[in-house]
Amino acid sequence: MTVAVPEPLLEIEDLSISFFTRAGEVQVVRDFSTTIMPGEIMGIVGESGSGKSTLALGIMRGLPSGGRIVGGRLIFKGRDVISMRERELRQIRGKEIAMVYQEPMASLNPAMRIGKQLMEVPRVHERVSRQEAWERSLDMVRAVGLPDPERIMQTYPHQLSGGQQQRIVIAMALLSKPSLLILDEPTTALDATVEAGIIELIKDLSHRYGTAMLFVSHNLGLILEVCDRVAVMYSGEAVETGDVRDVFERMRHPYTQGLFRAIPRLTADKNAHPLIAIPGQQPAPRERPKGCNFGPRCPHFREGLCDAADIPMVAVDAANAHFSRCIRIGEIDWDAPPQAAAAHEPIAPGAPVLEVEDVRKYYQENGNGLLAGGTRVVKANEAISFDAREAETLAIVGESGSGKSTLAKMLVGLETATNGRIAYRRTEIQDTPVEERDRKTVAGIQMVFQNPFDTLNPTQPVGAQIVRTLEKFRIGRTAGERRDRMLKLLDLVKLPPSFANRKPRQLSGGQKQRVGIARAFAGNARLVVADEPVSTLDVSVQAAVTELLMDIQRSNRTTMLFISHDLSLVRYIADRVIVMYLGHIVEQGTTEQIFSPPYHPYTEALLSAVPLADPQATKRRIVLKGEIPSPVDPPSGCPFQTRCPYKQLVPDKLCERELPPFRDLGRGHRSLCWLGDDVLGEMRPVIE
Amino acid sequence: MQFETIGPVGILLGVIARFWPVWIALAIVLAVGFRLRKRLGIYGRLHDDWAGLSGLMICFFWLFTAIFASIVAPFEPLQQIAIMKDAPPGAIDPDTGAVFLLGADRLARDVFSRMVFGSQIVLLIAPAATLFALIVGTMLGLPAGYHGGRIDGVLSFLANLVLAFPVILLFYLLVTPGVSETPIPQVLAGLFLVFPVMFFATLVSTRYSGQPKLLAPLLLATLVIGAWFYAGLVFNVDPLGLISLAPNELNIFVAVVFASSPGVFRIVRGLTMEIRTRDYVAAAQTRGEGPWYIMLWEILPNARGPLIVDACLRVGYTTILLGTLGYFGLGLAPESPDWGTAIKESSRLLRAHIHPALPPVIALMSFVLGLNLLADAIREQALKD
Repeated sequence: MTVAVPEPLLEIEDLSISFFTRAGEVQVVRDFSTTIMPGEIMGIVGESGSGKSTLALGIMRGLPSGGRIVGGRLIFKGRDVISMRERELRQIRGKEIAMVYQEPMASLNPAMRIGKQLMEVPRVHERVSRQEAWERSLDMVRAVGLPDPERIMQTYPHQLSGGQQQRIVIAMALLSKPSLLILDEPTTALDATVEAGIIELIKDLSHRYGTAMLFVSHNLGLILEVCDRVAVMYSGEAVETGDVRDVFERMRHPYTQGLFRAIPRLTADKNAHPLIAIPGQQPAPRERPKGCNFGPRCPHFREGLCDAADIPMVAVDAANAHFSRCIRIGEIDWDAPPQAAAAHEPIAPGAPVLEVEDVRKYYQENGNGLLAGGTRVVKANEAISFDAREAETLAIVGESGSGKSTLAKMLVGLETATNGRIAYRRTEIQDTPVEERDRKTVAGIQMVFQNPFDTLNPTQPVGAQIVRTLEKFRIGRTAGERRDRMLKLLDLVKLPPSFANRKPRQLSGGQKQRVGIARAFAGNARLVVADEPVSTLDVSVQAAVTELLMDIQRSNRTTMLFISHDLSLVRYIADRVIVMYLGHIVEQGTTEQIFSPPYHPYTEALLSAVPLADPQATKRRIVLKGEIPSPVDPPSGCPFQTRCPYKQLVPDKLCERELPPFRDLGRGHRSLCWLGDDVLGEMRPVIE
Repeated sequence: MQFETIGPVGILLGVIARFWPVWIALAIVLAVGFRLRKRLGIYGRLHDDWAGLSGLMICFFWLFTAIFASIVAPFEPLQQIAIMKDAPPGAIDPDTGAVFLLGADRLARDVFSRMVFGSQIVLLIAPAATLFALIVGTMLGLPAGYHGGRIDGVLSFLANLVLAFPVILLFYLLVTPGVSETPIPQVLAGLFLVFPVMFFATLVSTRYSGQPKLLAPLLLATLVIGAWFYAGLVFNVDPLGLISLAPNELNIFVAVVFASSPGVFRIVRGLTMEIRTRDYVAAAQTRGEGPWYIMLWEILPNARGPLIVDACLRVGYTTILLGTLGYFGLGLAPESPDWGTAIKESSRLLRAHIHPALPPVIALMSFVLGLNLLADAIREQALKD
């Protein structure tokens, strides 16, 4: 009697991929091995530049020009992919292996109706009739959870939201019934609650159709939620592979462990458990050290051992196929607690620095074209009231379209308020644009921007940009004094003085962001508005920049408004939290109050949407229906009523008719909701 | 009349030998460029690419030819040796034994020398006119793109108006005797010249507004130099006698600036609209910078890539334009050695003698080709950033 051993769908053995540039060969992926069984979801996690996307493209042999597979084997369903001809490859691509990319709009033809694009897939691959293609497409649109499929089929891509577009891309990929679906960061461009919906869909489809998947992501939490097995990549190599739960519970590579210690947990607090950043940065492919790539950043590095020769994959637990590229597995005490940075005393907030009262911001938008007459009003902010005290961190949380960036612009004076009152240290500034503000106010309210590649002027040396800010704020009397002060600022953000003469392109993302922070604090700012300052940085760098920002803030007793969509980070960094939705503040309170019941229904959904990288924690799933409405055409009554799962608990359709009151739930905790105390009292924590 | 000639090989060697100072200068530039190419940014990277390098070398070749014209050319551009009338290439003057490398034209002037001296006029007027057009277009395009709204509406309308007007008709109007004798060209030149002065004054004053000790002398210097150029170029009354422009040169200048600046305006406006959404512009705004500082110091340096490419192409276009104008008998004086006029003059007798027409044609073609190659290479290299 023989036991049927299932054939692996895809076998990758010692795969190496290089790019050939004028400067020579650049090895992007080195000796990567894995197998994917039918129906299995394999995750690949790594920071930018780790080679994970190149690997995904290499499997389809869809590398951009200059990229080539230089070694190893690639067996798909028993056939060697590397030796295939272009014609054979075309039969596999799209039909057997389909791919979903990060940007949905890049995968859709903007000039073609959705229905026609979808129908093309079965028409081309299986040569079915128009009628059948239409029916299959319609079924698939229904299967990916889009409302009103007939109407969707008639629309053009730009008429759909980002989340809907990504669902269409997934539908298109699945229409050819592929046996392997490659997803390259499929939710990175989407909002948290929309992402949660897509993740739910991916898992559901994998169960329903038995499609094997290769899920590429930088987010450890997503990997844990979606995948069965995982490969952690670092600088072109897999450093640890195995069963997801096994790897997450028993990390056996210092890099994996470092990553986990660098991400904020929904359960951790900034004063008790500071984040531990991995020192240094990932080496570029040409600057890889001898021996272990992670060696120079590793706390367990041993000279003569780790840098002697290439490190092979070592079995941690052969039965579970758990491997690690660390030769000191047996010697390291993996359960030892990290050398934690000293815990900080919580800071007592002082007098209010900023008071915001009933602020509204409406934009007049002219109708497009000559015929679509009439102006529309975009209500970006509605009845915003809060205050921020000295030395306090106030987080503003919300998804796109929530009006959080508009609020930030009004504070720094890039916009003026339509209505209401904003007072900075008792001076009213709501109607004064930044050009008309006095120098002290301008220097006092500064901003840290989101995109490190955009925050510094690429044509000017870094030092000169800080010096210019000092000049503008009249700090230092002579050029020499300002230069000294600039070097001090660079030192404050832990950059060497030699960086003053560098151009921004010679700096990494994290370093640029540090310069941005130095610039914001140049004029002794009392209020710093940080607009997603670390959201585009890699995990290990994120921790260092976050800690830096908090250190400076703590020692200067600066007030910080921290705008973010990342609830784990907010939980970690903030003293108080404001949750915004469609221009309204829907809930505000201390971090403690926001992250424990009773919740506002939107906050509850947002919390549930956070992917958790903690295998021990369990959370309740609340997946919101539909999309965030447009601020041009907001729903009547409560802004959240179109997606609220609690709506039927409020009698008389009150939610649809009237804006709820901003109810005080005690000790400053306020919520914009009609729900009665009985319902709120029964709410259970989302994460346990 | 039969001339003794030195033969094709002799002509070739002779021409190459005459250019000796140009070759030396090119060799120095090339050697220095290769040595420092890692440190010279985008200029250095042009050395990595054949098209870019050849473009660069062609442009430098003509630049050095213009600089060393009096050494390279064996005769004066207007010098006539009557006996040599219509002499073929390589002909030897029986009296002095001097070689007319590329022959002589119908007025018995050395074609080679005229081509060499012609480069001086072309390389002065075309880049200078382009530079002025660039500054005028920039000074108008920046506020249009930055502020938008009504300013943009008015300026864009005016630019489109000029663009919609047939260029050749415009030139005819500007350089025909009837118009060029009126004060119109001078008024226009006066108007255009205000822009560079304003440009540099604004550049200096926005940068050093916080340091009055530095600002005052710099601003004064800018204004004095501006006034000097202004007097020389517009009114032709330079007290030092260094800068002067003949009236018909002024006309051409005005015509080229007038026709080119709307194109520059549109490019600058588009780039500004894109760059103004960047965070570093917002960062400058939040530290209280004025609009002109942001436009000139934050936006303009980051728009330089496409502008340099456009300028290269525009210099080539202007060079052809000078030729076209010359061909129509507009613009420069008929005895001027510039390539356009030379082509026109020699084209009349093309059936009898082809040799006086070819050198200026080849010179013009190669220079424009070099500029286009250079522009392409710069664009390519800039994309790699």
